[in-house]
Amino acid sequence: MAYNSLRDFLRRLEEEGQLLRIKEEVSLEPDVRTIACAATKSATGPAILFEKLRGYPDKQIAMNVHGSWANHALSLEMPKHTPVKAQFFEILRRWDRYPLKPKRITNAPVKQVILKDDFSLFKELPLFRVNPMDGGFYLSKACVAARDPEDPSNQNVGMYRMQVKDHKRLGIQISAQHDLAIFLRKAEEINQPLRVAVSISNDPSVPFVAVSPLKYNEDEYSMMGAIRGEALETVASEHGDLDVPAHAEIVIEGAITPRKRFIEGPFAEYPGSYSTSMMQVEIEVDTITRRRDTLIFENLYTGEPWTEIDYLQGLNTCATIYKQMKADFAEVEAVNAMYTHGYCTIISAKMRFGGFAKTLGCRLLSTPHGVTYPKIIIIVDEDVDPFDLNQVIWAMTVRFRPERDLVIIPNAPASTLDPAHLVRGLGTKIIIDAARPAYPDIPLSDAASVVIPTGVPFWIEEIQKRMAKP
Amino acid sequence: MICPRCDDATAFQFFESPEKGAWELYRCPRCFFVWRSTEEEEVIRPDLYDPDFKLNDERIRQMSDKPPIPPLRRQK
Ligand SMILES: [Zn+2]
Repeated sequence: MAYNSLRDFLRRLEEEGQLLRIKEEVSLEPDVRTIACAATKSATGPAILFEKLRGYPDKQIAMNVHGSWANHALSLEMPKHTPVKAQFFEILRRWDRYPLKPKRITNAPVKQVILKDDFSLFKELPLFRVNPMDGGFYLSKACVAARDPEDPSNQNVGMYRMQVKDHKRLGIQISAQHDLAIFLRKAEEINQPLRVAVSISNDPSVPFVAVSPLKYNEDEYSMMGAIRGEALETVASEHGDLDVPAHAEIVIEGAITPRKRFIEGPFAEYPGSYSTSMMQVEIEVDTITRRRDTLIFENLYTGEPWTEIDYLQGLNTCATIYKQMKADFAEVEAVNAMYTHGYCTIISAKMRFGGFAKTLGCRLLSTPHGVTYPKIIIIVDEDVDPFDLNQVIWAMTVRFRPERDLVIIPNAPASTLDPAHLVRGLGTKIIIDAARPAYPDIPLSDAASVVIPTGVPFWIEEIQKRMAKP
Repeated sequence: MICPRCDDATAFQFFESPEKGAWELYRCPRCFFVWRSTEEEEVIRPDLYDPDFKLNDERIRQMSDKPPIPPLRRQK
């Protein structure tokens, strides 16, 4: 049975020993960020539920919900010790169930309370500053639904950082490569507001898919269904006929003001550094719908990796790139794009012929995610597990010949958040061909690799079984 | 109240904790900075705010639009 809501998932995390309740009163700053950061650095990476917040008697905060491989596995209803590579292949399997269309219901928990005039975002949510130099209090794990102004059948759901600037005003960062930027451009060309609905504290499949780089016409809600294995229940927004997750804790509705920009940021992002302040759009909020009981506000801490965001946008990014590359090159075995959102991406594949690694590196750079994010691209043979860095580094040390196998592409598109850039949005990419030279390339002089004895996989399991016995 | 980030003197209190007496929130109408009375001194005191993150007219003028505003479509 798929999780119905965040509450459902928190219950499961608690049963599995992956939820810590902080029962004593905490300050919104700095306690929430300090404890959330510590959770990401701790060995088991539990989710944290803050039960008593200074100043907010009827609110709670959940942090680090996806913030470990154990939590990630449980979010997919897999055993908590499932290895990363096995989680990756399970996601690929579920990806193929797409589309599993959402089911629109009418009587949803998120509609128990409807606020239309007199409300304040600061009253409804226990907002706090995630990192000390952030320009405000941010929604860092909220999912935004919007429709294409020219083709309303195309609905998009994505995760965008939002700065709460006033009782009814949100700043939102929309980068050019995101689908919402296309909707916004169309709306601004005809000077029309763009309706949005922001859902907070969802079942874990919702943010997981919202951060996945799906194609423009792909429907995120149908992918959430595929990942969960059951249709996601949605409900109509009060305005604009958007779909919102029926079991969210709270939904904020409003419209993006067209053709105006306002100061936004900075905000600490996934590279572990602050992005700059820029002039960005704002949402005028007009409606809030929510549950009646004590609200659980789910938010996300970002800082020096790894933090929750690295888990949340890890394997879904790998799966998206894998599917896109595999469609052209059957040789691709697995893709690991987990390091700083793919700034370092490792691809394992069979080498069709000499130099083929370069072909694969270039193909990565022409995928939607690959256009900007990858900076260090490592290609390894099919016998190297790209999720095992010991193996990847081994391949680089014994199969990579810098004078022949290193490609440098200067002045290429890059992530605007990369703090190492000289010109924001431009960077240099390198392809490291760490695969064995294939014909007609010159073979390695001492290419005779040691073969692992055939009985080893059996004995690995056997040793574990025997060690597990009391 | 002076904004810790841009030193604007017209910042004001706009919210207080639902549980009375715990803290107040202030906001700056110029740079939209929001802060809580109980935050660290480095965040809420203008003289201690990190100079790299301070805002002034020149810095605000230099900020680019993200995303850029497209030209209006001509009416048919
Ligand atoms: Zn200010």
